[in-house]
Amino acid sequence: MIELVDVKKSFGDVHALDGVSFKAEDGKITGLLGPNGAGKTTALRILYTVAQQDSGYARIDGFDTREAPREVQKRIGVLPDTHGLYPRLTSRENIAYFGRLHGLEGEELERNIDELMALLDMEEIADRRTEGFSTGQRIKVAIARALVQKPTNVLLDEPTSGLDVPSTRAMRAFIRRLSDQGACVLFSSHIMQEVSALCDHIVVMAHGRVVADGTADELREATGKSSLEDAFVAVIGTEEGLS
Amino acid sequence: MISPGSRVVFRKEVTDNLRDRRTLAAALLYPLLGPAMIVLMIVSIGQLTKESEKPLKLPVAGPENAPNLIAFLEQHNVEVEESPEDPERAVRMGELDVVLILPEEFGEAFANGDPAPIRLVVDESRNAAMQAVRRARSLLSAYSQQIGALRLQARGVDPRIIDALAIELADVSTPQSQAARILSMAPYLILVSLFVGGMYLAIDSTAGERERGSLEPLLINPVSRSQLVAGKAAAVLLFTGVALVETLLGFAIILNYVPMERYIGVRMQLTPEALLSILLLCLPLMVFVVALQLMIASYTKSFKEAQNYISLMLLVPALPALIMAVLPIKESLWIVLLPTVGQQLFINQVLRGEPLTAANVALSSVVTLAAGLALLALVVRQYRREGILFH
Repeated sequence: MIELVDVKKSFGDVHALDGVSFKAEDGKITGLLGPNGAGKTTALRILYTVAQQDSGYARIDGFDTREAPREVQKRIGVLPDTHGLYPRLTSRENIAYFGRLHGLEGEELERNIDELMALLDMEEIADRRTEGFSTGQRIKVAIARALVQKPTNVLLDEPTSGLDVPSTRAMRAFIRRLSDQGACVLFSSHIMQEVSALCDHIVVMAHGRVVADGTADELREATGKSSLEDAFVAVIGTEEGLS
Repeated sequence: MISPGSRVVFRKEVTDNLRDRRTLAAALLYPLLGPAMIVLMIVSIGQLTKESEKPLKLPVAGPENAPNLIAFLEQHNVEVEESPEDPERAVRMGELDVVLILPEEFGEAFANGDPAPIRLVVDESRNAAMQAVRRARSLLSAYSQQIGALRLQARGVDPRIIDALAIELADVSTPQSQAARILSMAPYLILVSLFVGGMYLAIDSTAGERERGSLEPLLINPVSRSQLVAGKAAAVLLFTGVALVETLLGFAIILNYVPMERYIGVRMQLTPEALLSILLLCLPLMVFVVALQLMIASYTKSFKEAQNYISLMLLVPALPALIMAVLPIKESLWIVLLPTVGQQLFINQVLRGEPLTAANVALSSVVTLAAGLALLALVVRQYRREGILFH
């Protein structure tokens, strides 16, 4: 379970997060929707321990990200905002490196890697150096290395950005599968259609605040709009930055 | 101390960087440059010294005009050769160093006691020819003096009357002292290899990691920042150590196995004990250099920027040598306590076979190591800041 409680964070005079609270439950896909600059990446970064809030709490499975970062890190698999690979290492070596940092080794490590490679359909690029990979291939490696330790909480920052249509569809199927296996999946997106198609639970952010939080039906009901798109636009107040 | 996390990071950095041509060149090829340079310099000095012992090949036009002069030259280690058709052209083109021309009127002028004309064709702008030119000139003026003295004697005059001054040139330089001067560059070259060995790895594993965007995912793994830094530092240390050992072995080989006495007439030696002392002297310095490089790389924004600053660091070991060239600095406490300066002094002493002051060595090593560890602590602090990701 992923949880933010009244989290505030400023960069100088800019209030990136102004009291953000939401929860993402196990076995569900939670979508973090909002225009660029709404604070989605900052919220995720606080959750995955590379940034620290000024006030409020961030917890993963009940562990506080500031007090027990190691416990948090053991329980999360992350596709962060930047997800560069090591170009001189093969896909398999890139993935194995992160697996080993999680304490996996030997047969278990190899088995996990092979499983993920089969699921992500990346056997062909398994033993190639990642230098010169396409965006789609790079995202696959980045996702596989994030999940090699089989985390129960998965945080993905714009996982479909830059992907072509077939890769996007494959990525969505993969995310659904993770959730079906019981993981708590939180992903950010600025694509309304994606969030509405995939998510059990939607958190809408704008200007560092949560402006709506609920299922698709609840959002439509609250805004009185019949289409989800209109509902989003209504809560955010503008169409800018969405697609 | 060695946590599993650090070990994984260490192993990955080594594997990764063994595939990088730049890192490999810096760690494996560059360290050989120092010893190679020294060998070249020693061999070329030897060649210069030997040159003066070889017979001087001197092309002469019209040797039949001055048989006595020719005989004098041949007695003084000169091989008289036939002159080409156009001596001036041959010298101008650099085909010959010097040509002596003895004109027909030489014999008559000589017999009459007039200054006998001879021409020496030279090219003053060619440094390489100067040795031969100098020898030819000094032989000719020796002959001139010898004949002049005989003439004075024949007229009952003491030849010494024309020597107003008695000049004695005392050149005390020996091949040994020249070799020692060259060898005094060795400490600097050893230190340079220490700075270069792990340079690229230090940049790649810190500034490079950030530039590639692989630092953010790396930091999310359940490994403490100090373990990450320890793993990276260990990898940079390994490459630095390989470069250092390689340079030292290079010096050991040239000093012990290249028959240097053939070139400079003297044997120099680097005993295993001396080699080991130099290695031990360098260990604390390795930690200092690696920490310094990691710190610079963790504060800079890009690979290029880090490379600029770290390359500038190469000047650090050169500074004491430069200062000492201008200001004579004797071994004193505050001097030996400066990392890189102290070590250069000590290595120099080891190479010259002078005894080390144990207290100074111990203090210098402790201070250098402490400075290195303090820098490493700064690196860890920098890694703990969230600013490491978003400058």
